[in-house]
Amino acid sequence: MSVSCIARNELRTPSRNTRLEHAIRTVLLSALLMVPALAAGADETKPPLRLCADPTNLPFSSDDPGKPGLYLEIGQAVAQKLGRTVSTNWYKSYFGKRTVRETLLSKQCDAMIGLPLIDDFMGAAVIFSKPIAHEGYALVGGKDRKLAGIDDLRGLRVAVQYQSTPQNLLALRDDIRKVTVLSPEEGMTALEQGKVDIAFIWAPVAGWLNKTSYGDKYQIVPTEGDGLLWATAIGFAKASGALRDEVDGVLPSLQPEISALFAKYGVPNGAPVKFGEADRATTSSVGASEPVTVGQVAAAEKPVQTAATAGDAKGDAKGDATAGREVFNGTCAHCHGPDAVQAERKIDLRLLKKRYADDMESTFWKTVHDGRPAKGMPAWKDVFNDDELRNVYVYLQSVQDTGGSN
Amino acid sequence: MKLRSGIFFAGVSLVAMVLAGIGASKANDSVVKAASDPNGWAIAGHDYGNTRFSPLKQINSENAGKLQLVYSLSLASLRSNESSPLVIGKTLFVSTSWGPKYVYAIDAATGARKWTWQPDIPDDVLQYACCDVNNRGVSYADGKIFVGRLDGKLTALDAESGKELWTSTVVDYKQGSVITSPPLIVRDKVITGFGGGEYGVRGSLQAFSLKDGKLLWQTFTVPAPGEPGSDTWKGDTGLHGGGAAWLVGSYDAKTDTVYWGTSNPGPWNTAVRSTGDGNFGKLTNLYTASTLAIDPNTGKIKWHIQGTPADAWDYDGVNELLLADLKIKGAETPVLMKADRNGFFFVANRETGKVISAEKYVFANWAKKWDVNTMRAEEDPDKRPGPGHPAKDICPNLIGGKNWQPMSFNPQTGLVYIPSNNVCMDWSVSDVNYKRGVFYLGAEFPTKPGPGGFLGELVAWDPIANKKVWSIKEDLPFNGGTLTTGGNLVFSGNLHGDFRAIDAKNGKVLWSKNLGSGIGAGPVTYSVDGKQYVAIVVGRTAALPAFLGDIGKKMVAAAPEGGSLFVFALQ
Repeated sequence: MSVSCIARNELRTPSRNTRLEHAIRTVLLSALLMVPALAAGADETKPPLRLCADPTNLPFSSDDPGKPGLYLEIGQAVAQKLGRTVSTNWYKSYFGKRTVRETLLSKQCDAMIGLPLIDDFMGAAVIFSKPIAHEGYALVGGKDRKLAGIDDLRGLRVAVQYQSTPQNLLALRDDIRKVTVLSPEEGMTALEQGKVDIAFIWAPVAGWLNKTSYGDKYQIVPTEGDGLLWATAIGFAKASGALRDEVDGVLPSLQPEISALFAKYGVPNGAPVKFGEADRATTSSVGASEPVTVGQVAAAEKPVQTAATAGDAKGDAKGDATAGREVFNGTCAHCHGPDAVQAERKIDLRLLKKRYADDMESTFWKTVHDGRPAKGMPAWKDVFNDDELRNVYVYLQSVQDTGGSN
Repeated sequence: MKLRSGIFFAGVSLVAMVLAGIGASKANDSVVKAASDPNGWAIAGHDYGNTRFSPLKQINSENAGKLQLVYSLSLASLRSNESSPLVIGKTLFVSTSWGPKYVYAIDAATGARKWTWQPDIPDDVLQYACCDVNNRGVSYADGKIFVGRLDGKLTALDAESGKELWTSTVVDYKQGSVITSPPLIVRDKVITGFGGGEYGVRGSLQAFSLKDGKLLWQTFTVPAPGEPGSDTWKGDTGLHGGGAAWLVGSYDAKTDTVYWGTSNPGPWNTAVRSTGDGNFGKLTNLYTASTLAIDPNTGKIKWHIQGTPADAWDYDGVNELLLADLKIKGAETPVLMKADRNGFFFVANRETGKVISAEKYVFANWAKKWDVNTMRAEEDPDKRPGPGHPAKDICPNLIGGKNWQPMSFNPQTGLVYIPSNNVCMDWSVSDVNYKRGVFYLGAEFPTKPGPGGFLGELVAWDPIANKKVWSIKEDLPFNGGTLTTGGNLVFSGNLHGDFRAIDAKNGKVLWSKNLGSGIGAGPVTYSVDGKQYVAIVVGRTAALPAFLGDIGKKMVAAAPEGGSLFVFALQ
């Protein structure tokens, strides 16, 4: 598994030759480049803490600087305590353990936040910090519904995620009608559309959506039992024991901040309803759990402002293609060609739309902001402001190759 | 390696050879013409029946020791190169892994490049492809080359120029569905399936217009609630039930029928979609782990054979259907044959769907036998994992008695040459995984060697007597597909990269050359200007060993990653 799709692959110890090449390239490129290069040189005493994270996995992580996500914000808080900055290697976590293998265990990053704290998660290869939270599945339904035990689901239509513990748990209950969904998002949609009465889905996403998309309309009742609730922690490669100990050293002082972050993202992190052993749990938890859970969620959501998501700087303004072309031809054209005409496909920006489709814009922002140092693309965020970069983006949109597809 | 007497060869007729010629007007004329040219290799599986048998015999068991390299082409794409090249006239077409990253058209005699096509494959496909970035080849018809892509698209190219003619979207790859196999062309239709049985998709086959890529029909391999067969699923689970048809199809012009295998059902926990134990009654999860017979005009399912009802072991039923005519009990019988992952070799009448025999061709212990009358396996209840019931030492393991690597059938010897695996597993539904922010229950399946001290075996199988005639044992599983020829030869590579010419009658290795990376692909043969060539693509798998623990480590250590085409001839 040596090949991976990491967008940014930093070389920690460049050879003399690559240093030389880098120096030559820097001189050849616009003098504007010198600004970030010098700035970066100033605080190179401690290397950045490299986190592997999924760019499209809210509420956990996102490459949108306006909404970095729970895990990234926890990572930033930890790094700050350690006197380090954060750099991010983006990798979509579609396949669980393979993601860990190809990122963390391939030394693409120093830490992954939010791995399940289980002894045999990846054998001895992955070691963990102290637990940072508990996460699991929750019952989601109208606030007037009684959701204290599995028998409260009797006769109802319940959304369960494909290949999940709730699906397994309810499999043998013929008195509960299961509706299979592929994601928690789909479960919330089914609930909203009245296709189901209850959604028994992944709590963090349910909480996040309840807060951001459904105006806190639903109650979210975390559950507990075999395969329903896990302690989560920060994961490291086996060789990073020293870093792990360092992180463990600062975690206790960060607990209030971490709790506040859970609340900010609407992610439940509290006393669950005992649910796994269905029949026994039912009678004992009636009454007691409902007020506890509801109160918990309500309290957690208070400090959050929906305004936090409005800080998306590049969403609103339109941009100016003519101005963008000027910037492009003055700077970017050194490598990407005048008017973006470029024969080398890998750096032919007329193919962005074909290559990235719906991700074109997010890829653009990520790449111009942070650069792709290993591939020679500098970071431009300290050189041009977002208005200027938006103009470049608008210009690039006007030169996209659209032929050849139905 | 066992030798055998040559007596029962007499029972087999030679009619399989002419399959490609039957009912020419019904298939696609250009494909039929190309497939009946004894010098060419027109379809990934050689012909509509996937026989991988070529009548060419200039290279034969007398002179195979004199094979020499003619040329080699770097595919410029590493790992999981699984392509069967096509040869139409004097041009060889070969695709690479990673999308494909490239399709090349070259002079079949010299290797000189005619054109190179490079699609724009999104950078993130690897993250959605469960079982590596493989591509198993392209298809040809009416002067066009058809390419199934990892990003869920289907593209038609002009075979002369490599120019892209049309591209259609078959499936959203971001649901975990990728296309890795060449489509099947029947008349004016390009038929393809896609992968993703594990990730909650509902499998389907789709036919696109050969001319312009418009969708003509789509047939789901799993019925929706209310449709016939939907009562074989619990609740709505069929809608995410898998049954992906991700390998190659076959076609019989006489009855105008397309045959395709379907993958395992999902999710893994059988209690969700069936009863969770062996008393599954009618909850068999149709049409997963099955062979489907389909009307190419409408996509309608004519009949089915379900090899593994209510599958609990990930025994995909996708393996290719090999069509031949065998003399069974004195009667010329049109059959389809499948070396199923579940360890049973199925022979069925391809016109009626009646199973004639289903016997073990590898060591298999999940079932005592497969009853052709009840159409059910007689299972060993200890070997069926379920909730609260982990099972140990189940054979075969999830890669199956045979995986995707193609087998071949030689009408002259009457034998089927099967690249088989001898690997077992434990299975418990207990593992916690991490998936896009979701910890979820998966399955744990530690891999164990099968009995006998070997992990793979090239088996020469008599499909009438249902017995092994000879075999070559391998120290690793997942070895290369096979080619067999009129020159009494079998060609096959292994994971060490050893490419061999073998006597088709007795299994004697006549020639062997190490080609530097593991071999999964099936070899092909063709003739240009009176000279016969044998071509093989090398470049081992990289993702699959990750499922197989210590055995996987040995598979990786056996040879480096690679990506090349090698072409041999007598010098």
